[in-house]
Amino acid sequence: MSPFALLLGPPLLAAVLAAVVVPYRPLVGWTGALLSLSSVGAALVFWSRLLAGDVPTSGPGEFLRADALSTLLALCVSVVGALAAWLGPGMGEDDGYEPAQARRFRIFSSLFTFTMLFAVTANNVGFMWIAIEATTITSAMLIPLHVTKASVEASWKYILIGSIGIALAFGGTVLGYFDFVNMAGRQDAALHWTVLRASAAHLHPEVIKLAFVFILVGYGTKAGLAPMHTWLPDAHSEAPAPLSAMMSGVLLAVALYAVMRWEAVVNATVGTGFTDGLYITLGVLSVAIAAFSLVIQRNYKRMLAYSSIEHTGLICVGLALGPLGTFAAMLHLLNHTLAKSMMFFLAGRVLHRYGTTEIARVSGLLKVMPWTGGLFAAGILAVVGLPPFGLFVSEFALFRAGFSVGRPWLVALILALLAVAFVSMIGHLNRMLYGVPTAGVRTGEDRLWPLIPLGLCATTLVVLGITLPAPLETLLRQIVAIVER
Amino acid sequence: MDSLFSQLSVLGSSLVLLFGLILLWRRGISAYVGAFAAQSMVLSAVIAIVGYFGNDHELYWVAGTLFLLKGLVIPRLLRRMERRFAVEREMEPYVNTASSLVVSGLLVLFGYMVTRPLVGLSQLPTRAGMPLAMGLVLVSLFVVISRKKALTQVIGFLMLENGLALLAVLGTYGIPLIVELGVALDVLMGFLVMQIFVYRIHETFESIDVEQLNRLRY
Repeated sequence: MSPFALLLGPPLLAAVLAAVVVPYRPLVGWTGALLSLSSVGAALVFWSRLLAGDVPTSGPGEFLRADALSTLLALCVSVVGALAAWLGPGMGEDDGYEPAQARRFRIFSSLFTFTMLFAVTANNVGFMWIAIEATTITSAMLIPLHVTKASVEASWKYILIGSIGIALAFGGTVLGYFDFVNMAGRQDAALHWTVLRASAAHLHPEVIKLAFVFILVGYGTKAGLAPMHTWLPDAHSEAPAPLSAMMSGVLLAVALYAVMRWEAVVNATVGTGFTDGLYITLGVLSVAIAAFSLVIQRNYKRMLAYSSIEHTGLICVGLALGPLGTFAAMLHLLNHTLAKSMMFFLAGRVLHRYGTTEIARVSGLLKVMPWTGGLFAAGILAVVGLPPFGLFVSEFALFRAGFSVGRPWLVALILALLAVAFVSMIGHLNRMLYGVPTAGVRTGEDRLWPLIPLGLCATTLVVLGITLPAPLETLLRQIVAIVER
Repeated sequence: MDSLFSQLSVLGSSLVLLFGLILLWRRGISAYVGAFAAQSMVLSAVIAIVGYFGNDHELYWVAGTLFLLKGLVIPRLLRRMERRFAVEREMEPYVNTASSLVVSGLLVLFGYMVTRPLVGLSQLPTRAGMPLAMGLVLVSLFVVISRKKALTQVIGFLMLENGLALLAVLGTYGIPLIVELGVALDVLMGFLVMQIFVYRIHETFESIDVEQLNRLRY
């Protein structure tokens, strides 16, 4: 069987299964969780084929294609999708969700995973667009799993702002197609990324630049880049924990992936200077807004959401800093996916126990839940970029890239902003970890096994902080070769 | 022949833009729904005209799908919603009518500026309509951010998509059919989900005024 079928089939199957079996039964959850491992395996198969120097494709005209960039994203999506399937509603004895809610979660989270996996493996940028639009629909259905005024508000903002952003990205896609058609005439393969990329040198610079502005604003809205980020803290804080983990950990990365596909075309047409300027503007603005919002944050889920905006901004800046910068940005993307999805799952455990998302009303976390609290602390230290975690290495590489392309002032500015974020996040963490446990909160961990996969995330982060495994380095180098040229 | 084609396409594009401008000076939501339905029908006529003169029969399918979906089905669903919320009119938008019209005029001009390289590059007889399509995209964006009722925002979003569809057909005689069909499916699904949420806003807040959506800050 083709590895593409093993990648895309299981989440679809899991969704159908959850939709067909009424009412929800734990067996459905377990089957979905086992199926999710198949997607991870398929992504690993792609990786090994790439290391052997072969780009896996499938279907007529290379309909599906998994080059290094697709493979990195497919790996991230399938891992976080598997975490959500294993730790999501409906798997444990008592997690506070009704069977109907668990069923809805299983249907839409599997579809959400499917749409993201399809978005990163579709060669046709039109289908990539369709899949990313579908991620908005599938994920918006899950935000108000508990219907409250706040969750309805958050999902309305998300679906409206997200849909408009995506519509603008469609405008960019149309403009890119317009450019191609004017040069080469109409043909069905015109929206294939490989075809666009191969003919990029002949495209009209003014038109492709205009197209990229639409693409960046459009997909940038989904990626949470400032100033289009306003939906993000609301959606990430009101969504149930597994969905927050998926949105923050991989949805933002998938949106950035779409931008990078077009960046590769634009760079081949007009050189890297144009995209660099836009990336730096939006990236620095995102890091700045996130850093100052972190200072005044009173809600720990919103704190994690703003931290995602900060890291998306950093990745964006990295993409503007030459080949080394792109390398660092992709490593950072991987690290951020691991760290942030782990953090949102842990935040879900904290919320379940304390019943509040306010930082001020959570205290003595280390006494109440020693393991969860310990991992939570480690995660925050990783997210703010301390050694020995992977994010330290990727941020360090990013700064080196900044110096190597002669932008020391940019590096200084980013460092100052990161220092602001660092101080405020550590402050919030201290308030939660220590002190007398909040009155009326039960002490002791509930179920320990969900901490095993999350602990594995933390371990991987430490490994990535100490060494860069050779297969990963090769993969990242191949990505750099795709985007820069 | 070509000049008739070009005149028809510009006439059609102007009508599409004009129906979009109705959102700025009418207050009742039923007028908006009517404008959207009429706009979608004119748009599908433009697509069919391009299909006829451009000799591309795939476009008839696109025109037919669009006519059915945005000319009939979605307006019908919108009317049903409108009957539920009949008392709620767009009484006090964030920007008043006079300023809205001035802003839209400027936005259409801006649309002309942005599309200048496109019009200069294209050889198609339909190219003169592209600035109007871009104008509609910008005006619809303005409608979404300056109006308070959730239903008005949905209609603004649907008109924005019409603007993009117009841009695609005028500039390129339409994107590949299979992609077009996927986009149509997405539009329908997206609209249905938005509809669910408008009802849900009405249930939880007892009104569809988005001004009350102000719980989440910072």
